[in-house]
Amino acid sequence: MRRRDSVTTYAIVVPFAIVLAFPFYWMLMTALRSDNDLYDLQQVPYKFNADSPTSANFRFLFEETDYRQWLENTAIVGVAVVMITLLLAVPAAYALARLSGSWGQSLGVGIFLVYLVPPTLLFLPLSRVIAELHLNDRLWSLILVYPSFTVPFSIWLLMGFFKTIPPELEDAALVDGASRLGALARVVFPLSIPGILTVVIFSFSLVVNEFVYAITFISTSDAKTISAGVPTELIRGDVFYWGALMAATLIPAIPLALLYNLFLDRFIAGFTGGAFR
Amino acid sequence: MKDRRERVDISKVDDELTRRDLLRRAALGGIILVYGGMGAKTAVAGVPKYRHRELAGTLRIIQWSHFVPAYDKWFDDIYVKRWGRANDTEVRVDHVNLAELPSRAASEVASQSGHDLFQFLSPPSAYEDRVIALNDVVQQVEKKVGKMARVGRKSTYNPRTKKYFGFADNYAPDPVHYRADLWGEVGLRPTTWDNVLRAAPRLKAMGNPIGIGMSNELDSNMALIALLQCFGAYIQTPDAHLAIKSKGTRDALNFMRDLYRRGMTSEVFAWTASSNNDAFLAGRLSLALNAISIARSAEQRNLRFNRDIRLAPIPDGPGPRMGLEHVMGVYVIWKFAQNKRAAKKFLVDIGTQYTGHFLNSYFYNFPAFPGSVKNIPARLRKNTSYPNEVPGRYPILDQISKKWTTNVGHPGYSNAAIDEVFSKFLIPQMFARVARGDMSADEAMRAAHREMTPIFKKWRARKKI
Repeated sequence: MRRRDSVTTYAIVVPFAIVLAFPFYWMLMTALRSDNDLYDLQQVPYKFNADSPTSANFRFLFEETDYRQWLENTAIVGVAVVMITLLLAVPAAYALARLSGSWGQSLGVGIFLVYLVPPTLLFLPLSRVIAELHLNDRLWSLILVYPSFTVPFSIWLLMGFFKTIPPELEDAALVDGASRLGALARVVFPLSIPGILTVVIFSFSLVVNEFVYAITFISTSDAKTISAGVPTELIRGDVFYWGALMAATLIPAIPLALLYNLFLDRFIAGFTGGAFR
Repeated sequence: MKDRRERVDISKVDDELTRRDLLRRAALGGIILVYGGMGAKTAVAGVPKYRHRELAGTLRIIQWSHFVPAYDKWFDDIYVKRWGRANDTEVRVDHVNLAELPSRAASEVASQSGHDLFQFLSPPSAYEDRVIALNDVVQQVEKKVGKMARVGRKSTYNPRTKKYFGFADNYAPDPVHYRADLWGEVGLRPTTWDNVLRAAPRLKAMGNPIGIGMSNELDSNMALIALLQCFGAYIQTPDAHLAIKSKGTRDALNFMRDLYRRGMTSEVFAWTASSNNDAFLAGRLSLALNAISIARSAEQRNLRFNRDIRLAPIPDGPGPRMGLEHVMGVYVIWKFAQNKRAAKKFLVDIGTQYTGHFLNSYFYNFPAFPGSVKNIPARLRKNTSYPNEVPGRYPILDQISKKWTTNVGHPGYSNAAIDEVFSKFLIPQMFARVARGDMSADEAMRAAHREMTPIFKKWRARKKI
């Protein structure tokens, strides 16, 4: 019986795992293959042929482009945006979940709706704002704009999460002499780690993936983030540098994937935290 | 009276600086160091951006990431630096992917800030009111090196407003690339569209279909408008009246439907600008229309069929034999540009002496002012340092550029209506509808006419055509 269960489990999980892991495998294979190998249709695409594997694509990426700088810029923007998001979203979500009664829910939905306005609509008016602030070509332009979509989603997510924490716990802390802030810091936050972690990972991923603002607000090569720098330098006219492109996307994808895996349980808890309330 | 210093207990001081304090201070110091650059050009204030503060002005240029990386290197590191020193100006060049040029332009216009010189790769007629007239720049260059090529003039001049809204410094010819080995087996050459249609079934059966895109991308636009011209069909008349409803259009649509059914595959409906390059370089296609990026990439990769790739003019059809430029390099100076004087001077200089650009782009950039590069045919006959270059491949470009290259919108000008038709990909959509069997040629032609009518009306009302 147990054997049958495990066979069923694997029968369901393995195809999913293959489908989800395939892009990583394909990226790795392409990144390690020479152009000649890549463009030769006579060769089997799932194994290395001719002059592959090669590190040429990685060398090109690090020696011929500003990739290292783009990675650094992405990390700076990512960390700053995550910090701003936490700073704004955690108290806002807590206030909406606990303090504002029935208004809180409607307000939360309203804030979430802001998240749904696509950057393709917003980038034109926001370019004006960025220009007025003299932030063009500075990472600060992205640090300022990205929270406009990370904060609403994070508030919405954390609101659900805070609602799963029984208010009685805070009441007990208040009775014991803690202030509202003290109760928040000593009782609510420690219990909210999965939700906060979800916000951290989610916001950071959004920043790494974002393209429209990154390409619009920054044009100097050494101030670009990965999402803007890679297509600029590795797609030249109608020629794609496939090997280098795959290497460039694989490098940030691996730590992000590891991060997701490391905190998978907490991540799931964060997303499903408010699902039943 | 005791000396105050005596009271200081050294051991206590040590105790006060705990590890936590040390870490806290180090972190604070790090943050100040890293983010102290808030006022600088980037968050991390490292290398100063303006190394030439002694120069009188700054000129900011944005253009595409050129197909030839070495060209960008030469342009950024040698050409503009030399020009900057000679003109007491710091020149900063930014690059952007070809596909991102329109959104970048839109954002610069919306924010009324950005670069002094913005290079488009197709005539940006719709921006005429946003840019300054460059008639004086064109006049100065023409005085020095002679007339601008017709393709350049018709791509950047508006006869209605009598304004050069852009300055064409270059264009790329759009030759046919074909595999001589495969076509040799069929016993034909793609000199006429009829030959292409005749050879297509056998080429497809050999596993090497014809590759002309019918999707929303640049190469499809170019190839299909050129095909229309070869059937005597045009989007507009010389005086900018819509002319898409014609026998020539119907014939071209029917021809393409037959060509697709006999010798192409359905992937052409989902192509991007790189798809014909990729498919050709992978050895799948027997024919494609493109700038020389296909041939050059084959050389660089030293593909096994590199020597079998031939360049040829657009095939002859029932109408006049006339192809298009593949990309048209057009600089504009926004009205809000900070350094218009330097921008104009830069354009005059680039237009007057284009040899370096022609050679460093490995013949990709043809001069819009033919007189700015001496003896183009002889230069095309000489080998360059490009790896695995096939001798004798490129002289044909001279004839193609002179005889068989015209502007989008021919026989009229590349006006704002043409720009909109072009950027909405109405021509590829019209062809795709017929090739897929969704509409007859007549229906598709009428649908395209319906879509284009308000566009022409709008721009006529705005007095731009």
